[in-house]
Amino acid sequence: MMRELERINRDGIIADAAAIILSGGKSSRMGQPKALLIFDGEPLILHIVRKLQSLFTDVVVVAAPGEQFVELSSLLCSQPDQPNELSELKKPNKPKVKLVRDEVAHQGPVGGIYYGLRAAGREVAFVTSCDVPFLNLALIFYLTSQISNHDVVVPHWQGRFQPLHAVYRRTVAPLLKEQLERGELRPIYLYGKVRTCEIPEEEIRRFDPEGLSFLNMNSPEDYEAALTRWEEKRLQGLGPDSQLSAFSSKPSREGSVSCTVELFGVARLLAKTTEVSLSLAHGATLSDVYSALAERLPILVGRVITPDAGNLSSGYACNVNGIDFVRNSNVKVNPGDRIFIISADAGG
Amino acid sequence: MYGFHGRLLHVDLNTGGNSWLDLEQSRLRAFLGGVGLGTSLLYDFAPPGVEPFSPANPLIFTSAPLVGTGLTTTAKYAVVTKSPLTGFIADSLSSSFFALELKRIGLDALVITGQAASAAYVCISDEKVEIRDGSRLWGKSPSESESMIRSELKDPAARVAAIGPAGENRVRFATISNEGRHAGRGGVGAVMGSKNLKAVALRGRCGVSVADPQGVEEIAEIVRRRSLGPVTDKYRNIGTVANLAVFNRLGTLPTRNFQQSTFEHAEALSGESLTENNFSRRHGCASCTIRCERLFKSLSRDQQRLEYETLFALGPLCGIEEPEVVLQAAHLCDLYGLDTISTGGTLAWAMECAEKGLLAEANDFGLRFGKAEALLAIIPTIAGRSGLGALLAEGSRRAAAEIGGETMHWAMHVKGLELPGYEPRSLKTMALGLAVSPRGACHNRSGAYEVDFSGQVDRLSADPGRGALVVASENFAAVLDSLIICKFLRKCFTDFYAEAAELFSKVTGWPSSSMELHRIGERIHTLKKLFNVREGWQPEDDWLPARVLDETLPTGVVQGVGLTAGELREMIQAYYQAREWDENGFIPEKKLKELGISTMQNENCKM
Repeated sequence: MMRELERINRDGIIADAAAIILSGGKSSRMGQPKALLIFDGEPLILHIVRKLQSLFTDVVVVAAPGEQFVELSSLLCSQPDQPNELSELKKPNKPKVKLVRDEVAHQGPVGGIYYGLRAAGREVAFVTSCDVPFLNLALIFYLTSQISNHDVVVPHWQGRFQPLHAVYRRTVAPLLKEQLERGELRPIYLYGKVRTCEIPEEEIRRFDPEGLSFLNMNSPEDYEAALTRWEEKRLQGLGPDSQLSAFSSKPSREGSVSCTVELFGVARLLAKTTEVSLSLAHGATLSDVYSALAERLPILVGRVITPDAGNLSSGYACNVNGIDFVRNSNVKVNPGDRIFIISADAGG
Repeated sequence: MYGFHGRLLHVDLNTGGNSWLDLEQSRLRAFLGGVGLGTSLLYDFAPPGVEPFSPANPLIFTSAPLVGTGLTTTAKYAVVTKSPLTGFIADSLSSSFFALELKRIGLDALVITGQAASAAYVCISDEKVEIRDGSRLWGKSPSESESMIRSELKDPAARVAAIGPAGENRVRFATISNEGRHAGRGGVGAVMGSKNLKAVALRGRCGVSVADPQGVEEIAEIVRRRSLGPVTDKYRNIGTVANLAVFNRLGTLPTRNFQQSTFEHAEALSGESLTENNFSRRHGCASCTIRCERLFKSLSRDQQRLEYETLFALGPLCGIEEPEVVLQAAHLCDLYGLDTISTGGTLAWAMECAEKGLLAEANDFGLRFGKAEALLAIIPTIAGRSGLGALLAEGSRRAAAEIGGETMHWAMHVKGLELPGYEPRSLKTMALGLAVSPRGACHNRSGAYEVDFSGQVDRLSADPGRGALVVASENFAAVLDSLIICKFLRKCFTDFYAEAAELFSKVTGWPSSSMELHRIGERIHTLKKLFNVREGWQPEDDWLPARVLDETLPTGVVQGVGLTAGELREMIQAYYQAREWDENGFIPEKKLKELGISTMQNENCKM
């Protein structure tokens, strides 16, 4: 069990989170269903599903009822769909894909997010659309990791929210339902009502300097441009597999390691923050994490972090990814690690 | 005699008489004080097979050699009896000025047997013992009783331990309370209530002598300084409520009757949030430098004590997300004298029954997970044993046996004692500790969770190596609980056994050693088990609730983690082996002789 969990966490599969792909749009300007555009030799929806499966246990596709649903069903599911029921595909050695229909067609993204959250049954879900070929897993992982104290994590790119590249907690579903009933069909109406974490552009650029994650395709021209872009990146050796490197134990191409430190107890009260994102040199150890943290939050030095900033004080302990308690500060940090700094005494 | 007074006071409520009896040095040296001495006296004073509510069941208050010596955190006392919740040993600790006063009376133990003809309280002023009319106090809260008794005795310095209405009504998880602290677990307050005994009031003027005052003072100063260092930072600056947020993140926070180990509203209830939003005052027991107690503001009260166990049990365990509700529920438990862990555990069981349509009476309250009004409305009925409260006052095991069907599957207890806030599936050493503890599911008599949090083992995997680790944890706790030293001081020692032996030697004048204390820890724990065996313990009593073994954890970083019956059985076997007990968990005569138990207990039975 331990090994399995380590694999799940170290390989970047996010526990208790799902991905939702909205595929309920009309594709009117494109002239054909965007989900079925051929991309990298396969329908775009399959391309996106495969990519998200490397990060999430469950992937849900929300489609409009009618012809499009039948087409997606035949593509994603081995069994014919039963009306108003979820279809599940369990391919050998693959996580399952759920296909669910918008109960009322074309209500826009609010409806899609609502039905998707309801079907996903997970605590949180990353939501995207079916027309974004350049998903960046490092960014998605980062966005999902920011949800712990929030209900929504949404990127803010070039002056606009990106609600279809955002993370939602399941508990917002009732509010989305109310929005649907009131006809408020824009997701941003939700953001003022719940704990929303806005990810600024500078933070996004750490993972996706060009913001390709938000490049969607609405017309045949967009499609052509995306295909050209894809080919350029493939020739540069920066295809989708390169994005996965941030979640393997191999060094990232840029030679840096991003990790997040979560603070608890006295450390949190002193720092007045729950977590800190760090970017460290390749090969960084926990000792480097403590040093970087000391630099960012000097108030922790002497109390939580030793005066030489190389270790934790005797009253504190380190846990990596919620699984391993690590006492040796020479242990290397893996990309995407979440490092908890907690009291060493669990007495209560 | 140094460190001890060498005598006990026996009060017989049947006759109203009392007697002072000598305590042999051999017994004090073999069992120290606190839980150890209490266990030894319970074994001798309790008739085999005695019913917990029988007048013959002794209610034993014990002091300890370090009490009153000036060593930080040692103002504690133990209450030991046969538990009405488990039918086995109940040993519960409380602290502060009542503990100091007990020692100042000039005794090492107070043993109360019998039953008063009507509501009464015992008043001990040095050598003078009175059984006074307690009818005016009946129905009052413990704190109100304390004030009324002080006023009646015209002695503001008198120290009082009292029960609330829950104890009077023999709620099987009622507490004994002094100065807002509780001897909480196992229903010691119900035994006191069964004796028609509302309170014990003390006023003593007897000093405490130690063999080497300067030596004791030097060690006390070193430990005092350490107690203000980083290892107690959590306790000094947030209190035990700090556990909640991190336990949630680690998937060890029992939620909705152990159906989950993470709670989606944990942040709102976290110690960090409470500190920022509700903090009122920091408080400490007498003679304590750590001062871990936190008092929080609620809408209805300025100051309400809250510990992690109360927060978890009345919060996530019952699906309650509002700090205000938890604070109010905690206040009700204080007011009625209820153990918050068993209250929360039993209510969570009832909530699950109600949600599954198996407890029709619960519908009158709208009892469901997360229903604040229902939670607050039902606690008084438990204390008063009225309506559904009468069933719940029996604790989750008996209530499940009464309702029947599958409800026992989610009665989360061991030996009848409800589980504390440490999820056993994601803390495998703790799982073993909970299963085999003589007191039932307990986080204090076995600190096995500490092994899981140390990085020394893989907390998510079970292996036979845990047997010896749990043994070490239990023996360590037995020594701490008998000297008595608060567990929150335990990390302030660099070599606990060696330093504690030195301290014990300087207090008593008896040359001691690390090895002797190790052996004493083993002896005390073994005698607890021996008592349980005498009272009908069977191998199946060392086990965990069905849910723990049948269901995997559904959320958080521990999603999919479970514990199988085979894994648990293997760990229990390893534990028995490490204890050198037989494969069914019974203690061989050879082991008893090796620990000097059979000889000692036989001799002392003549008391």
